Amino acid sequence: MVGKNCFAIASDRRLGVQLQTIATDFQKIYKIHDKLFIGLAGLATDAQTLHQKLVFRHKLYQLREERDMKPETFASLVSALLYEKRFGPYFCQPVIAGLGDEDKPFICTMDSIGAKELAKDFVVAGTASESLYGACESMFKPDMEAEELFETISQALLSSVDRDCLSGWGGHVYLVTPTEVTERILKGRMD
Amino acid sequence: MDLDAPHSMGTTIIGVTYNGGVVLGADSRTSTGMYVANRASDKITQLTDNVYLCRSGSAADSQIVSDYVRHFLHQHTIQLGQPSTVKVAANLIRLFSYNNKDMLQTGLIVGGWDKYEGGKIYGVPLGGTILDLPFTIGGSGSSYLYGFFDQAWKEGMTQSEAEQLVVKAVSLAIARDGASGGVVRTVTINSDGVTRKFYPGDELPLWHEELEAHDSLLDILSSASPEPMVS
Amino acid sequence: MTTDRQLAGGFSFENCRRNEMLVQKGLKQPSFLKTGTTIVGLIFQDGVILGADTRATEGPIVADKNCEKIHYMAPNIYCCGAGTAADTEAVTDMVSSQLKLHRYHTGRESRVITALTLLKSHLFSYQGYVSAALVLGGVDVTGPHLHTIYPHGSTDTLPFATMGSGSLAAMSVFESKYREGLSKDEGVKLVAEAICSGIFNDLGSGSNVDICVITKGKKEYLRNYMLPNPRTYINQKGYSFVKKTEVLKTKITPLKETVEVVEVEAMEE
Repeated sequence: MVGKNCFAIASDRRLGVQLQTIATDFQKIYKIHDKLFIGLAGLATDAQTLHQKLVFRHKLYQLREERDMKPETFASLVSALLYEKRFGPYFCQPVIAGLGDEDKPFICTMDSIGAKELAKDFVVAGTASESLYGACESMFKPDMEAEELFETISQALLSSVDRDCLSGWGGHVYLVTPTEVTERILKGRMD
Repeated sequence: MDLDAPHSMGTTIIGVTYNGGVVLGADSRTSTGMYVANRASDKITQLTDNVYLCRSGSAADSQIVSDYVRHFLHQHTIQLGQPSTVKVAANLIRLFSYNNKDMLQTGLIVGGWDKYEGGKIYGVPLGGTILDLPFTIGGSGSSYLYGFFDQAWKEGMTQSEAEQLVVKAVSLAIARDGASGGVVRTVTINSDGVTRKFYPGDELPLWHEELEAHDSLLDILSSASPEPMVS
Repeated sequence: MTTDRQLAGGFSFENCRRNEMLVQKGLKQPSFLKTGTTIVGLIFQDGVILGADTRATEGPIVADKNCEKIHYMAPNIYCCGAGTAADTEAVTDMVSSQLKLHRYHTGRESRVITALTLLKSHLFSYQGYVSAALVLGGVDVTGPHLHTIYPHGSTDTLPFATMGSGSLAAMSVFESKYREGLSKDEGVKLVAEAICSGIFNDLGSGSNVDICVITKGKKEYLRNYMLPNPRTYINQKGYSFVKKTEVLKTKITPLKETVEVVEVEAMEE
């Protein structure tokens, strides 16, 4: 979700096999660099593989270019990586969020074969995406300050996750402004 | 209705030889399932200056075959220093159709004129055989035409007789075959060169129980019931 | 791991068998982003007009309410895409880069027929599995051109064309109102009307109208030319939350100032 010169990216913390919960402190949001994060919903093994590949490619980029990737560039990289597996895809839906040139927030999601979906306000992915669309659609306001953005994204996440049996067990929110990154663990329903 | 169905040309295509040349004819309907995707398509494709090709079956397959063959015939023409014969063109098409018969769904008719053999028609149906014939019909509409051709085709027709025959045959097939329709296109090739002709749907002869073309259905309705309706 | 594949290009099929097994074990295959779409194009007096709606769907869910379906191919050529979003995006991007290289090679403006041939040969070689249905339009040295390209690789050349799930609705407008030699304003109006009929009569199409007018040496990309479906009511104050969200743990990482390297002229001896 985008705010004024800042963005927030949030996920739930459950890892499960069908209806059985395996872990309740699972990391779904990965840091690429200080101002660029990627959330990966879907099959955990694919999420981790994809994350490793992305970190690898980003490190190569850093060595070659001596700078961090812009979020737009990174989104194209993810898209290319996913589309390569067009006929045998990773079961994985990414959400990318970062601060670009002059700290302009950038957000983007994709389907599992890399069709980019750019938005100005918010993007969602995963099993609770249907309820998230509704919650975000009504709760979002343009140009929110960091703390208000945090409240909004957290409430949208928690209320949507409560209507999805496959997600839950609290939330994990990264709030990124040009000067600092705030990471918060949210308390949520444990059922 | 299936819009994802591959593009195919339920077609009527015809090739006829006459005294001095050949006439090729085709309808103009291309459909995806039940939807007419193109009502004015050109199924008679040019291969070289003196050889043309009628395409039927999958649109994608027949286009790719004709594109490749055109490419190789151009090369061949340059290497030979003179126009390629109809026989060479037909054999090249046969080669493609035969070698890739598992992947291609297309029946083709090659027609043209060269100085060695005059006007020639070759049929290259589904499996990739080549047929040297005085006349050939192809596509879904052809089943309605075999009897007609057995009766109406004559050895040594004049150009206008042959053209009349082709237009009549395609319009007959259009009348009975749902997958054929639109307009009739013909290509005549002889020693003088190539002439293309175009017959719009409303200028074709009307057959059994066919209706005149109208701009609006309202024209028919008002003339049929002069009495005002009373409820 | 990735290095050997990095330069190879092309698709990789290494997950196919694994995925087949996963699906058999009951894992749901992820659904792809589709553009159940209305896209159209027509030739007018002095060029080509392309039009598209802006809805992207994922099953019954509207995934994007304002996406772009008119893709750039070359400065004088644009292409509308329907079908699987990733495929239309990838195939148009790929061909547009091939066209650019070709322009550097020849130093001439790209031709529409070149784009058409590149697109159809790619789509044909994947036998319809790359599901992109395209309306390609442009003006080159030989004049205005409009083509449709189907996923299996067949192409048509037409004075007016429609594609996508809303193609029937849009075609009905074209069939009743199109004529030769339309002026620019008439053309844009007709295209907008055709797209609107797709937006309102086809469930897969929706939101706004995008239009692209290409004439000799000039193009106008009219993004969101019409907005026939604005949001009806938005609470001015928006939502606000009284109780603070319960937070278990907070970690704040301050970010370092980025150091800018300024090039200084070398000191003289």
